[in-house]
Amino acid sequence: MLRGKRLTAILLVLVMVFATVLSGCAKKEETKTEPTAAPAVEATTAPTAAPVAEETADADPNALPRTETLYFGGQQWGAVNGWNPLGDNNNNSMALASSGSGSRTVMFETLYMYNFLDSSMTPLLADGDYQWNAERTAITVKINPAAKWSDGTPVTADDVAYTFDTNLKIGNNSGNGNKPYIASVVASDPSTVVITATLNDAGQATNPLMLVNFLGSMYVAQKAWIQTVEARCNNDATAIKADPAEDVVYSGPYGKYYADAQKVVFKRNEAYWGQDASMWGKLPVPKYIAHTIYVDNAATESAFKAGEVDVDQQFIPNIQDLWEKDGLPISTYIDKAPYGICVNMPTAFFNLEKPALQNIAVRKAIAIAVDYDAINANAMTGQSPTFKDVPRSAMNPTDGEQATFDHEAVKDLQWAGNDIAGANKILDDAGIVDKDGDGIRELDGKKLSFVAACPNGWSDWQASIEIVAAAGKNIGIEITTAYPEADPYLSTVTGAHQQDYDIFMMWTDSASPVQPWGRVRYLMSSEFNGVEGNWSGNYGHYSNDRLQELLKLIPTEADAAKLKSYYTEAVQIYLSDIPSFSLMYRPDKFHAVNESVWSGYPEQGDGLNIPPSDCTDGYGIAALYNLSLAQ
Amino acid sequence: MKNTLRQVFHSPKFVAGFIIFVAVLMTLFIYPLFNPGNPLQMLALNSFSKPGTYVSVYDSIDTDSIVMKLPGAAEKRLEDKLSMDDRLAMKEWLVTAGVPEGDIDTTDTTNLLKIWKEKYDPSIKPAGMTIAKRNYYKRLTIDLDKALNSNEVTIATPNAETGALEEAKKINDTDYVNTKDVTNAITLPLGTDNFGRDVLKELVSAARTSIMIGFIAGIIATLIGLSTGLLAGYVGGMVDELILFITNLFTVIPGFIILILISYGIGQENRGATTVAITIGLTSWTWTTRSVRSQVISLRNRDHVNLSKLSGHSLPRIILSDILPYIASYVVMALILQISTAILAEAQLSMLGLGPKTTEVPTLGLMMNWAMVYSAHTHGYWWAYFPVLLIIALVSFSLNLMNTGLDQVFNPTLRD
Repeated sequence: MLRGKRLTAILLVLVMVFATVLSGCAKKEETKTEPTAAPAVEATTAPTAAPVAEETADADPNALPRTETLYFGGQQWGAVNGWNPLGDNNNNSMALASSGSGSRTVMFETLYMYNFLDSSMTPLLADGDYQWNAERTAITVKINPAAKWSDGTPVTADDVAYTFDTNLKIGNNSGNGNKPYIASVVASDPSTVVITATLNDAGQATNPLMLVNFLGSMYVAQKAWIQTVEARCNNDATAIKADPAEDVVYSGPYGKYYADAQKVVFKRNEAYWGQDASMWGKLPVPKYIAHTIYVDNAATESAFKAGEVDVDQQFIPNIQDLWEKDGLPISTYIDKAPYGICVNMPTAFFNLEKPALQNIAVRKAIAIAVDYDAINANAMTGQSPTFKDVPRSAMNPTDGEQATFDHEAVKDLQWAGNDIAGANKILDDAGIVDKDGDGIRELDGKKLSFVAACPNGWSDWQASIEIVAAAGKNIGIEITTAYPEADPYLSTVTGAHQQDYDIFMMWTDSASPVQPWGRVRYLMSSEFNGVEGNWSGNYGHYSNDRLQELLKLIPTEADAAKLKSYYTEAVQIYLSDIPSFSLMYRPDKFHAVNESVWSGYPEQGDGLNIPPSDCTDGYGIAALYNLSLAQ
Repeated sequence: MKNTLRQVFHSPKFVAGFIIFVAVLMTLFIYPLFNPGNPLQMLALNSFSKPGTYVSVYDSIDTDSIVMKLPGAAEKRLEDKLSMDDRLAMKEWLVTAGVPEGDIDTTDTTNLLKIWKEKYDPSIKPAGMTIAKRNYYKRLTIDLDKALNSNEVTIATPNAETGALEEAKKINDTDYVNTKDVTNAITLPLGTDNFGRDVLKELVSAARTSIMIGFIAGIIATLIGLSTGLLAGYVGGMVDELILFITNLFTVIPGFIILILISYGIGQENRGATTVAITIGLTSWTWTTRSVRSQVISLRNRDHVNLSKLSGHSLPRIILSDILPYIASYVVMALILQISTAILAEAQLSMLGLGPKTTEVPTLGLMMNWAMVYSAHTHGYWWAYFPVLLIIALVSFSLNLMNTGLDQVFNPTLRD
């Protein structure tokens, strides 16, 4: 009897010890609320306004029929702030988001839909292809006569012009982004829009590509509705941007149905104009689109595996296990590694305000010592092409971008990584050696010690930073890691100056009509130096006069050979000065689907040319029209 | 003293706990002698390689092989690629492709494969079949092609001059090599973690760090607790009030919260293992103070203490020689508990990402942290987290067992 009691006691102690340790695990989950997937554009908007939580009379979010609802995951974090196509602070990523995959046209629409698979533009509100004028300074777009607002009135050229003017006037992200490149958007008649570029000294468009980009990125809002908002906000720009726009008129296939801190639901507009034969010819298949607001990636992943999420936008380590080992009906756009189309290049920037990092030998040694294969295999679990497959440049691995520069001319500058001997030699040759025998080299009497950082909870980034830090150990440079929370981290690195982090990770531009010019600018343009709240790139504050010239020359160059030589020169500058070094190639949006309820998602080689952009972004929304119920 | 020790080592609980603890300690110090090297070295370009011995495929080609006629080898090879589930799935596909169900015998491998070769077309998309399932059939077909290739495999090397492939060796399905003969091989008893590091090596190093953190933190906490408790209990009055006030302050604010705040405040780049140990020690002394104080209060009016006072002995002398020995056994037990708590605290801190900086030393909490971040628990990579839990459990369990044993020896109410 006594022995039995003792045994019970021992077992109890064991259980308690396990429980204590596991409670540590649980706490970790609670703190990790940042998405692993670095949101490309959404991250710029931090929610400040109080979340809007209200219910329409007939809305019962718990009664959504599963076979009529498409559930998303990994897009919406935290409660929705508003539905305002003019605002920057909606935190409503299912309705309002633009990124390298194109703008999300679930609720609001753009003139064209961008397709990052082939850089094509498919008309949405527009009718037919856009037309350049002979000088390539203006684009003419016809509006589809079938296009209607949710209140039944037609979408007109005036709406487009008025939206652009308002964006400019109130200075929102869209307005500010287009201001340097677009002089005017005018309705020459009710169904024709003329977009005119700003001109450079030579009388050419400053950047014609930005006009094309505009076609696929600016949400068109209704003029009458904008005027209502202006009236109720007394034309105050800040108030207009902050308006929650509960009464918004939209042209897309889905409208607001329900939103609170737990979920956001969109309902199909049965009168959606797109069922006209000139557009889709039918309505999108799911009647409801819903996004449960999960606390973190782990929660989303569990729901995804259980079939409660149909389309998931998150990094799942070793995703192939889900079908190879667990046998779940889950798939990605490509059935083999890297499983997606990698168009982004998360990059480690050197803080060039630090004297030691102004030394190019130090920068180069660190960059070539990092084991990129380990980042690929262990941080990205193989979900990325390696730098052996696609040698580094400023271009992403797509064929289109790879064709823009001369591979032979930059071959000697590219590095594959894990070159410890080479890195040590560079440092030794530069006279940067360990004089005091502590194993760490010194430069100008100061030991080389750097802080490498990325946001906490962005797991694949954190693992990459660990591997960068491990490289330092091999070459006598002390690199310690820091994982601050995302908000303070992002506001630090986007500041005009910062001394906190020496090597820090940020994403780059993904695909868009302005690439790879946009990414070259993002990685190196000194126009962003000294700008407070700079989200546009070059976070290490590099500057190079020749590169600035190239950035001006490239957009207006029509001669293909010259263009190639400019791009080649830009890559040469990037690879020899090393202001930053890309750590991996990565999809703009992760796209994994669970076919327990819905099937008919796009897959590589299906001949449909629908990009894997979560069935919502750019031309990716075409996927919603091809879905069917799984059997 | 000798008598006390004898008493202590007669307690079966203490002895059991002591043996477990010493065994763990011995392992931790002896294992690195056999397997030296940097525990943080990333070996595998693969996350979570499973436990086992890995031999170099490259070297095994050059290793002398012998022919072995293992009964059932071919069947086993086929079964590995073509399980019963696979056969049923193949049947399912063939039926949807229009093959009469009666013609398909899943047990007749040759015939099944023949029909499969004839009928299977990866470009067909049967209605309602998920992408995942279609991809499964594609993978299965590729696997089958490999498994059924019962011919020899030819190893070819490119000619240095022409680049043309030249036959270097032929390998038969009956060739075997002894794994001991292969030049390069590594045994990973606990596989690798997400960074491709040897989990066992990392675990041993991490456990040493954690125990070191436990000891430093435990000693600091006990020293602070003991000295404040002795002072408060013996001196009394204003000193007692003041110490009790501070202690109460620390007690009502949960220690772990303070610990989190301090760790966060220090910043990762300054958080070495020692700093973390000191931080833990500085936040977990309160209950030692309280209990030492109450013990001392009950002691301070005893006759021998009063005699000492009358003899004009100094305060430190009275405390050290007349009071401390009476609570020494209690203090030792408190120390053991503090060590055990500190190990758990480090694990919890690291799980929150607030443990020692990550590139210098592995710790148990950090190992758990990375295993969680890379979904080891949901993907079934048990070797990345379970051994860590086991070590933490063993260490805490043995310390607690020793403590209970001591308690039984020293606490008259519990004495058998």
